[in-house]
Amino acid sequence: MRMFKRCVVALAATTLGACSLDLQNPNSPTQDQVTSSPDGVIALATGLQGRFAASHFNYAYMAGLVTDEFAATAAALISISDAEQGSVAPGTGIADNVFNSIYRTVRTADELLAGADNLSGSFEAGTRSGLKALAYALKAEALGEAIQSYQQVPIETFNITAPVYVSRAVALPIIRALLDSAAAQIAGTPPSAFFTASILTPGVNLSNMIQIFRARYARMAGDNATALAAANLVGRSGTSAFSAFTYPAPGVNPYSNVTGGTNGIAVRRQFRTSMLPQDQRFTYFVIPSTTLVGRTATSPLDPFSNRYAISAATQPAYFPDEALLIKAEALAIQGDLTGSQAALDSVRTDCTGGRGLDDPKACLPALTAGQSQAQLLAEIYVQRRYELLGTGLRWEDARRRNAIRGPAAPPALPVDGQRCWLPYAIGDRNANTNVPADPAEPTVFPTGCSL
Amino acid sequence: MTSLFVRRAVRAVAVLLVAAPTLLTAQAATGTIRGKVSEASSGRGLADAQISVVGTRVGALSQATGEYTMVAVPTGARVIQIRRIGFQPVNRTVQVLAGSTVTVDAALSVSAINLSEVVVTGTASPTERRRVGTSIATVDSTVIAKALSVTVDQALQGKIAGAQITQNSGGPGGGGISVRLRGTNSFISGSDPLYIIDGVIVDNGSAQLTDLGGRSNPQNRLADINPADIDRIEILRGAAAAALYGSRANNGVVQIFTKRGAIGKPRVSFSTRVGSNELREEQPFNFYPYDVNGNPISRFNLQREIFRRAPTYEQNLSLEGGSEATRYFISANTSEDQGIIRSTSSKRQGARINLQQQLSSTLIANVSTNFVTTKNAFQAFGEQNDYGIMGSLFFAPTQYDYRPVNGIYPLPPTLGTNPLLAIARIKNPQTINRFIGSAKFTWTPIPKLLVDYTAGLDNAAFEQGQFVPRGAVLGTAPLSTGQAQSVYQNTRVINQDLVAGYSWNPGQTFEWKTTGGFNYTQQTLNLTQSGANGLAPVGELVNAGSVPFGTQRFTQLRTLGFFAQQDLAAWNKLYLSAAVRYDASSTFAPQQRWQAFPKFSASYVLRENEPGLLNSVRLRSALGWAGSQPGATNAYSQYVTYTNAAFGGRPGFVNDITFGNESLKNERAREWELGTEVSALGGRVGVEATYYDRLVSDLLFFQPLPTSTGFSRQFAPIGKMSNKGIELLVRTVNVDQKNLRWESTVTYTRNKNNVESLSILDFQSAGGYPNRIRAGEPVGVFYGSYAARNCVTGALLLDSLGRYRRSNQTADMGNAAQRVAISGGTCNDSLNKVIGDPNPSWLGSILNEITIGKVLRLRALFDGTFGNDVLNLSTRAQNSVISNNSASYQRELLPYGDARKLAPTFNSRTQGIFEYWIEDGSYVKLREVSASYTVDWSPVKRIFRDGVDLTVSGRNLWVWTKYSGYDPEVTAFGTNAGGLGSVQTTAADRGIDFGAYPIPRVWSVSARFTY
Repeated sequence: MRMFKRCVVALAATTLGACSLDLQNPNSPTQDQVTSSPDGVIALATGLQGRFAASHFNYAYMAGLVTDEFAATAAALISISDAEQGSVAPGTGIADNVFNSIYRTVRTADELLAGADNLSGSFEAGTRSGLKALAYALKAEALGEAIQSYQQVPIETFNITAPVYVSRAVALPIIRALLDSAAAQIAGTPPSAFFTASILTPGVNLSNMIQIFRARYARMAGDNATALAAANLVGRSGTSAFSAFTYPAPGVNPYSNVTGGTNGIAVRRQFRTSMLPQDQRFTYFVIPSTTLVGRTATSPLDPFSNRYAISAATQPAYFPDEALLIKAEALAIQGDLTGSQAALDSVRTDCTGGRGLDDPKACLPALTAGQSQAQLLAEIYVQRRYELLGTGLRWEDARRRNAIRGPAAPPALPVDGQRCWLPYAIGDRNANTNVPADPAEPTVFPTGCSL
Repeated sequence: MTSLFVRRAVRAVAVLLVAAPTLLTAQAATGTIRGKVSEASSGRGLADAQISVVGTRVGALSQATGEYTMVAVPTGARVIQIRRIGFQPVNRTVQVLAGSTVTVDAALSVSAINLSEVVVTGTASPTERRRVGTSIATVDSTVIAKALSVTVDQALQGKIAGAQITQNSGGPGGGGISVRLRGTNSFISGSDPLYIIDGVIVDNGSAQLTDLGGRSNPQNRLADINPADIDRIEILRGAAAAALYGSRANNGVVQIFTKRGAIGKPRVSFSTRVGSNELREEQPFNFYPYDVNGNPISRFNLQREIFRRAPTYEQNLSLEGGSEATRYFISANTSEDQGIIRSTSSKRQGARINLQQQLSSTLIANVSTNFVTTKNAFQAFGEQNDYGIMGSLFFAPTQYDYRPVNGIYPLPPTLGTNPLLAIARIKNPQTINRFIGSAKFTWTPIPKLLVDYTAGLDNAAFEQGQFVPRGAVLGTAPLSTGQAQSVYQNTRVINQDLVAGYSWNPGQTFEWKTTGGFNYTQQTLNLTQSGANGLAPVGELVNAGSVPFGTQRFTQLRTLGFFAQQDLAAWNKLYLSAAVRYDASSTFAPQQRWQAFPKFSASYVLRENEPGLLNSVRLRSALGWAGSQPGATNAYSQYVTYTNAAFGGRPGFVNDITFGNESLKNERAREWELGTEVSALGGRVGVEATYYDRLVSDLLFFQPLPTSTGFSRQFAPIGKMSNKGIELLVRTVNVDQKNLRWESTVTYTRNKNNVESLSILDFQSAGGYPNRIRAGEPVGVFYGSYAARNCVTGALLLDSLGRYRRSNQTADMGNAAQRVAISGGTCNDSLNKVIGDPNPSWLGSILNEITIGKVLRLRALFDGTFGNDVLNLSTRAQNSVISNNSASYQRELLPYGDARKLAPTFNSRTQGIFEYWIEDGSYVKLREVSASYTVDWSPVKRIFRDGVDLTVSGRNLWVWTKYSGYDPEVTAFGTNAGGLGSVQTTAADRGIDFGAYPIPRVWSVSARFTY
């Protein structure tokens, strides 16, 4: 009897004492565990690069669809075949993916910046500068892709309940400042060997990436001097000039997921057929087809080349020749037509072997000497189309050249882009009262997009 | 603060227990009481009557002959109470002398309502029904035995007012059953009640470890319990009754008590049942002997090859008996239920030992142990269209012969698998090894103080395998390359309960009872999955694969609660009670988790066992609060967590897009009920009626967050929902003569659910299905496209081919101006609308039992559901262009001029018009019918003491319904199923018939021998 009572008392005391209700989640770490330990912050840096690769792909996929790059593999893929005709209803998954994934990238970049500062004592200076430069650069590019998809975008989002939308005119200087910060970080304190070997994704050259992003947005802002200077800082030759994301198994390159199935897209055949006959760049992107059709029998397609279609293929973070094209454009606008033509010709004449890069190679002859400024700018635009497929840059090019028709207006002329902007993401609209009304698409062609 | 509270409580409990020995009284001299309990009308002995000595723990159960013996009765003037369900209780006062034996015989007369019935649930210690301010339904072993069902919850169908008990699938081993007490009370926390067996909270999960049909529900774990072991079930329908179960009681509580064994000589009982399951009726398919071009073709009826008449067996052996000091109940059970879909079956083998031992005059120990092995061979159905049999049946065109040629099964042209291939080669074996055990100590140091301590364990080891051979399904990798999986989940629930009650009677007029205690539950789930695709041609295990995958998950939930209750009884007529439970769960944020759930109840007995027309009348009312907790899937929703997102071959962290809610708290229900129990016409008519009004606040769901923040949603309170309704139960004894007795029980349930408010936009609760949660509508209404009608005449608007116009299709309706023009008004302006409601407006049942002589018993239970809609996606699948196997599609093939001819593409047009697939799902089922004969010839009785009972019975024999599918009862979603990797189901997702497993018609014969 007494024994029993003792047992009950002991049992009650031990079990109640042991029954803490504060249980840790063993399945996934908490915010505190991740952001307050060096290991966690380093893992955030990897997470950021993964998220950036995903959001960049989502942007490029959508930008390709609403320009003349990509099209649906079947009419049954309704939202995709609608988008290739310029029709994107609010709430369309492939469009909202662009916005949602961009801001996930931004969130992770902000966390990485905060983590690198909070744990500054735990990292050597070069590691910290590398982490911060990486975060600034990828955040800036993610936001840059946002302003190339949306008429207005939120900029301040970190730990804010209802982010406010600002115009491109407000956002662009902020993006450029982020990129300048990134450049200043690694210029002040070069990234440590540990950062480069163990944090930065193998195959990415951070310095080149920052400079090409700087050049890209300086060009967009019309700051030709900065665009030229930054473009000159991008490596031109050798494998280190190139940056690509790698997808070792079980990772899967995102393009290989969309070569068929419910998100299936392929390259419009006119990408290849509109090239000069000697132009070899299509071999980089597509496998020529005579039979593949998409939405209708009159929308012929070429399937992606194995550089895109196989799951372990690497994906370019940028093409180095973009720097040459930016340089050519800046020089042309500045009046240095000879310099501009030289830069442009180095893209046109890039051929087998080239500068030691695995990038699209035109193998075209040089231009005849003495091109006018207008001729050069037109040629730069053409070269950008064939050199930069699948980077999403085509959309902004169409926009700035007023080569976009709205979805409602039948095309009077061959058009490069199908619509100006994406509708704002339904996920943000449903929970954020600051989301503006969706911008109206133009109804006559050619007309500029309202900025 | 929390831990301080805990420490104080521990100290209080310890002091109580340590100080108690001083209260111990010396053991007194005792006597013995024996006698016989019989039925007043027939004089026949009554088994299972409860005989107790008021104010002591001494008690006994009568044997089959009605005889009983109680020893160790304290001497003095004692009140002996004799009670049995369905009869009026009898009290006798006797003088017990030390060492002598008193005989107390009692003849009980029938009563449809019994206020003295002892109930346990919802109060801290056993009490009489009259004292409880809420309605409590009780079902005893005889009712369960007569149902001849495979599982316990099946046996309850049609027996309880206020309960909607639905068999979600007709698969073997009980199918998945969901129980809704007083409507749907949560979106995501499930709506099934809390199940407690012998004081142990048990797991009734229905999650599957591999995909057996998306969110479908082939079996819930209550199926592991052998119905033959059950003595009694008490059902607490609502928050007011169940407040003492705190933050888990919102959906009500079902408390199950297993048999304890009756005092007397060892009694062996053996029963055996053999039955047959069969498809109730085939569905019409397209058997038109011409193809679309009018060429003659032959068509194939896959149903003939898929379904079969399947046997079901069950054997039960039990041994019970005991003395005053020791009682025992030992049972062994084996059953095999084969499914009407070939290759499916469920087997259960189990054993139970229940022991009760008097350790001293003040201490009784009760030990229950139950071990069971359930082995299932299942096939996927429901949403699973890749290798699910029912989905593949509905999508398979009839113009192909699916039988194997040269051993090779042809695959259907577009979707799914060949069901015959699935039957022959795809395997989904499950083994569940489960132990449920409890130890309970009851200590009565003084007659006025009762202390109960219960420790319980429910440990289920669930192993599930899967084998899908290479090339068995259409479509792309990985599934088409074959898949093997082995998944193991261990679920463990540990309970500890302590209840102490002290009662005293100042001046006999008043009775005062104070109760308090604590409850602690810990649930642990540990899951490991390994699997592989790319299978070698030979080999069914994971190591036959070339592309491995796997995962591991560990989840723990703890709940700690303290409660106190004060009861006051006055003049044996008025009973007042107030109680509070103070409860916390690990799921909730620390500053929110401690919540108080109070309850108040009043009961007044106006008349009791008075002669005349009106015999007994009781009025009762209660008000209470209870909570509900989300399940294991959302156990850690209070934390902002990170996901491992490896990139470039390195591990990386990114924030989970579901933002943790650092102030997460439980859902909270407030319920008020008012009711009465009336017994009239000499106990021959009994009525129980209850009105209830429940409001659930802080309903949890995913609240959208601005995606610009990098998050998408947060688990948070988003709204309120109410359930109001009435429950009515009428028991009548229509004829009560010596050789003929006819009793009826009628139940009527009406519930009105309403989503009162939502702080977020209305949303689709089941991803991809039209169930929707909208403020101002019942939960889970069907919302979607409809066929446009003329606003003036109401006639359907047809296009030039005679096809319907779909409301949300611009091609059908034109722009806004054209819409109004073709409609003759604005009635078609909305693109979508509410098109149906899966919630029934009322439920009812009628049970008739006729006993002829002493030996022949006839019984029939009709059970019906009225006013609910079902979305018939099975027939929609048949009508799609790729399947074209429906009877409706057949009409497209008819020659022009035939009055039944439908325009070509008529059926493909209806695919997108969801209103077209809404059907009235009302039904009445002949749920149970049986005839039992007791062979009581003396040569038989010489061997078998109680004679031999022979029974012929049927379940679900007939269904009266307008519904065109296999069965309006089945639905594609289980309650909160959501297995590994599949989407979580909400309780709102009802009424979807999509490839469900039809409920079989069951015939069986059984025999029961008692020695």
